[in-house]
Amino acid sequence: MSTAILDHVGFNLPKGYARRALPGFLTLIAMVLILLVCGTIQPRIWSQNGLTLIMSPIVALAIASMAQMVMMSIGDIDLGIGFFVGMITTIVATLLRETPMLGVLALAGSVLAYALLGALVQLRSVPSLIATLGASFVWLGLGLFVLPVPGGAAPDWLFKYAFWKPPLSIPAPVVTMVVATALTWFVTRRTGLGVKFRSLGSNPVALMRSGGSLVVTRMLAYGTVGILGVLSGITLTAEIGGGDVNAVPGYTLTTVAAVILGGGMFTGGRAVAWGTLAGAVTLGLLTVLLTLLNLSSNLQPAVQGFIVIAVLAGRLVVERMTR
Amino acid sequence: MLTHTSATTPAIAAGREPLVQVRRAVKTYGPTKALSGVTLDVHAGEVFGVVGHNGAGKSTLMRVLSGLDAIDSGSVQIGGVSTPSERGFPGVRMAYQEGSLALELTVYENIYLSSKSWIPDRRWHGAASRRAMARLDEIFPDHVVGPADYVDDLTLADRQMVEISRATIADDLRLLILDEPTESLSGSAVDHLYDYVRKLRASGHAIILVSHRLREVLSVCDRVAVMKDGAVVSTHAAGSVTEQDLFLAMGGEVAIQKTGNGARPTATDSSRPVCVKVPMTTVDGAATQIVAHKGEVIGLAGIAGQGQEQVLDRLWRRNGDVQASAALAYVPGDRQRSGILPLWDVARNLTIAALPSLSKNGIRQTEKENALVAEWVERLKIRGGASAAITGLSGGNQQKVIVARAFASDADTILLDDPFRGVDVHTKAELYQLIKSEAQKGRTIIWYSSENSEMQHCDRAFVLRAGRVAGELHGRDISDERIISLSFAEAREAHA
Repeated sequence: MSTAILDHVGFNLPKGYARRALPGFLTLIAMVLILLVCGTIQPRIWSQNGLTLIMSPIVALAIASMAQMVMMSIGDIDLGIGFFVGMITTIVATLLRETPMLGVLALAGSVLAYALLGALVQLRSVPSLIATLGASFVWLGLGLFVLPVPGGAAPDWLFKYAFWKPPLSIPAPVVTMVVATALTWFVTRRTGLGVKFRSLGSNPVALMRSGGSLVVTRMLAYGTVGILGVLSGITLTAEIGGGDVNAVPGYTLTTVAAVILGGGMFTGGRAVAWGTLAGAVTLGLLTVLLTLLNLSSNLQPAVQGFIVIAVLAGRLVVERMTR
Repeated sequence: MLTHTSATTPAIAAGREPLVQVRRAVKTYGPTKALSGVTLDVHAGEVFGVVGHNGAGKSTLMRVLSGLDAIDSGSVQIGGVSTPSERGFPGVRMAYQEGSLALELTVYENIYLSSKSWIPDRRWHGAASRRAMARLDEIFPDHVVGPADYVDDLTLADRQMVEISRATIADDLRLLILDEPTESLSGSAVDHLYDYVRKLRASGHAIILVSHRLREVLSVCDRVAVMKDGAVVSTHAAGSVTEQDLFLAMGGEVAIQKTGNGARPTATDSSRPVCVKVPMTTVDGAATQIVAHKGEVIGLAGIAGQGQEQVLDRLWRRNGDVQASAALAYVPGDRQRSGILPLWDVARNLTIAALPSLSKNGIRQTEKENALVAEWVERLKIRGGASAAITGLSGGNQQKVIVARAFASDADTILLDDPFRGVDVHTKAELYQLIKSEAQKGRTIIWYSSENSEMQHCDRAFVLRAGRVAGELHGRDISDERIISLSFAEAREAHA
């Protein structure tokens, strides 16, 4: 993990690196702590099956958080990701199972729709909040059209994935999450495309003066968000075994929280894939912990929200100290 | 002494085609004519200085040369190309004063973004880092910037070094434009930069240096063009002119004996109560203060961005060290960004600052509001009337509404932040009249303007330079010439 470099802190750490990596690192510590508390209460989670059980509901959230992270790195926010992932599950559980060709086309069309949404935001200077909120109702409508009531079934290859047991007793969800995060990290931090994404979020003027196209860059970023959204929908279908457009409307705001926990910013420019993974897993494990503590499920969202606010406040203090 | 050279100086090899040829270039932004027919030549292998006061058209000319803006008429030709592509003219690079680095990216990522064409696509991380470091080491040998440093966490001086290096990393570089490059650099870095500029010149590059540090311009440039009111008024061989000559050409006045006279007591107004007191330092380092009495119009003048807005900001935020009267009102200069409420009509835009005094127990009193709006619409002749949509008004009328908003409140001190930029002459005259009559009624006005001629309407004007008071002018002493002279105070001291 990129934050692990913090362990051998030297004075030759690049300026500003610690300030950017610290929030994700703190979230990682919180994640480990929660995992340890869960393991103390219920020792049976320390096994391949146990970890798979508590981690598999988090996979789709983690990948959706990657989508939100890309969105926030260009300075936008996606208020439609929850319904988009829901809509993808309906496509995967029906079209992709029955007529794979049509299903693949529908998924590609969804990604294209996202790219066009990006063009709309850039060309008509519609705030991304409005554009994606509007789009969320389109996703909901399309999802209901494809599958009016929850149902359908995941394609057989997805079922196989759901029961996949990797060697060395590594839990399958961990493999999926780490691979998705590594890919997102590579694209946003190591490629020229990622540099363009982040410069669009940090200073569009710099991108423009360097001869880059704002429209093309934003469309590519939204397309990337669409691809990650589709991946999230596919893993969610594997998890719930069918399609339901209303499966995870809460993702919309939970993913934002995950990115913020990971060190992202609303103002754009920061791409923190590993931090976001830590954020998403922390939020997911929080639900497990609260269940293990026998807390009423009605209270869980409130407690979750409280913890997120506390972490953000703590981060603000830490940031001020390291600056 | 003045050499008005229409042709090239002998030092520049005659017969060679100039690299840059600008002929009668005109550029207008709305009502303002930024360039009114610029003609100039820049040759390969020379350093060409451009000087001038606020609004002389330097920035616009540089935007045109770098291909960011197209001219309305005339012609611009650089290296035989007369229409820039999307990336500007080929071989032309500009180091901006600010705003062209992405703060959340690292140094090498910024270099990659800007110089993609000269960095391999595969394994670009190392290549971009090496090029960034090589150029930084070459220009600024004692810099402390690392390739993976985030620009946001660098000091202003370090950022400027990165920006200059960024501009020079281009394999096809022919013309380098430096816009106020030394504003935030320290002494040794300035020397290093100019050493590098001379090196570039020796290798046949052309360099355009825009700066208001006349001493630097004269020491490094071969020729200097003086701009005024959107045109090049004269071009001089740097070796044959002095700073005084450049002052004269810019419209400045040489014969000022006193420097740092900011602490001179005001005899005329000291009887009236003091409304505003801002502690400052003079350019000589002595302590002084900007004092405004009740009913005075105080000007803040000088080159744009020399700390005038910070004075207003300190007053508005009521920093601990300032003394300000009870109620302040602020008129912003950038009306689109911080002035108008675009969805509201003229009346609501006008009354927003006065609402607290117009309402009774927190309930709005519509008749009182309407009366106030009617009074101001009538007084300033705001076209369209009270119920017009604010965005439907012309810029001048929008500005009238914003000025009226401040004066319609019960504030006794009004802060004006260069509010009349881009406003037509007629509206300006009306607003000057308003300022005068309101001052007579006992209001205090602190007025920053980048247009020197506006300062004539002030009782006293403070000329600022680098956040310090370069001088204080009284009444009839306030003139274009004297403001320009004081603006360049540092340069003048060298000859005193």
